[in-house]
Amino acid sequence: MATDKTNLQLVVNGILNENPIFRLVLSMCPAVGISTTVMNGFMLGIAVLFVQVCSSCTISLFKNVIHPRIRIPTYTLTIATWVTVIDMVLAAYLPEAYAKMGIFIKLIVAFAIITMRLEMFACKESVNASFWDGIGMGLGFMFGMMALGFVRELLGMGTILGYDVLGFKPLLFFVLPFAGFFCVGLMMAFFNYIEIVYKRAKRA
Amino acid sequence: MKNILTIIFRLTVACLLAGLVMGTAFVFTNKAKKHNLHVNEQKVMLSLLGYSAKNPAPASVAMHEVYRYIVSQGDVLTTGYLLPLRDGSFSFVTIDLTGAFVARYPVAISAEKAVEADERSQAIAAAIGAGKTIRYADQTIVVTDGGKRTAYLLPGRFPGFKTFISAMLALDKNCTILGLEIMENEEDPGLGGEIVQDYFKNQFKGKPLDTVKKLEVVKTPLPEEYRKALEAGKRGQMGAAEVASIEEQYKDHDIYALTGATISSRSVTSGVKGMVKKFAYRLAILDRVLAEQHIAVPF
Repeated sequence: MATDKTNLQLVVNGILNENPIFRLVLSMCPAVGISTTVMNGFMLGIAVLFVQVCSSCTISLFKNVIHPRIRIPTYTLTIATWVTVIDMVLAAYLPEAYAKMGIFIKLIVAFAIITMRLEMFACKESVNASFWDGIGMGLGFMFGMMALGFVRELLGMGTILGYDVLGFKPLLFFVLPFAGFFCVGLMMAFFNYIEIVYKRAKRA
Repeated sequence: MKNILTIIFRLTVACLLAGLVMGTAFVFTNKAKKHNLHVNEQKVMLSLLGYSAKNPAPASVAMHEVYRYIVSQGDVLTTGYLLPLRDGSFSFVTIDLTGAFVARYPVAISAEKAVEADERSQAIAAAIGAGKTIRYADQTIVVTDGGKRTAYLLPGRFPGFKTFISAMLALDKNCTILGLEIMENEEDPGLGGEIVQDYFKNQFKGKPLDTVKKLEVVKTPLPEEYRKALEAGKRGQMGAAEVASIEEQYKDHDIYALTGATISSRSVTSGVKGMVKKFAYRLAILDRVLAEQHIAVPF
């Protein structure tokens, strides 16, 4: 059952149609906990992108030798391996990047989105399709995190990327973890609304 | 039954493969990683002492590392210090729990090898003889300028919100805090992770020993002028004199907690408090013993 989408369609699919945060509602922990600033969202997005692409390709490559009964442990093992390897390589060769990103990379092992993509996509598709799907999912996740981060940073601290744009702090409440739920919910509603409007316009 | 065996076999192979990949990556990256950590540590130490690439430390400044061990012989516990001596050799001095001098052993080790944890413990174990076990506790770096003590650097580790936070603390010769740097932490980004920011960690700067001893965390918002003064190093909007006067004003004030991260703020505060208190206590004992026994240390 190979996918009939082109590479570009796979990427767009990850960003819009099956956006991990707003459509699939996966990996809510980081979406709620860490999306407090745009920069955090970007960093975590990059980290997820790397791990997702590497794990997807690995699983897709070995899909025929993975016993179906033990696929979940194998996925977890694959993700853990990639997270560890990327963590070590960054620490050794890119210490500046590691100082900023190290903390995010270690968080990834337990992300639902990566396991889910391995289960739903990579274990059935070719390496090429899995690679592009991984890119799409990573970018979609980054987009979701940055969109949330934008709203929460602007409303919570009055800054964007650390630069003071408002000059005051409107609602500090937005930076706290529970406000993440409100933000995710409101933005999900917003994206659903856009979709409805778009479909209506298309039909008319 | 056959199924179970296949599953066991495949899972084992998967684990072995994963282990192999991680092990290879570890072998290739470990040296570079350690080197990076060491370079970073050196940079942090110098910056805490107020030196930088633009303002390098003069040649008269020297750092002497003192390693503390716990020595146990049966039920008897003593504290042992590995001290560098003026003639370049090393001595291991043990002090009992009441603060009285116990014994002094010469340790045959070179200054380069003393930096390596394994070689150091082997040399000490050989020096003090059989029947005693030693456990590494911590290290202190005594900074001297022209032979006079100017500061102490304390690398330390204390529990944070989720796991340990490692930090480097600089104290002047009266145990007033010169600066705090967070080396490693896994607090939540955006919340507890803010402990690395200037506006939090610089609050510890300039606090004298007596204030640190009863330091607490308060949950009132950080005053704007204080925040500006704390971040002056980064933004540079304020003159040095103004910064100094504001810092002087808040010198004896408790630590302002981070928004949404009271636990992380408390952890760092109590961690720093514990490090400074214990260090001041041990230092007094060590200094007295050094003076009584006429041990010629270079600091």
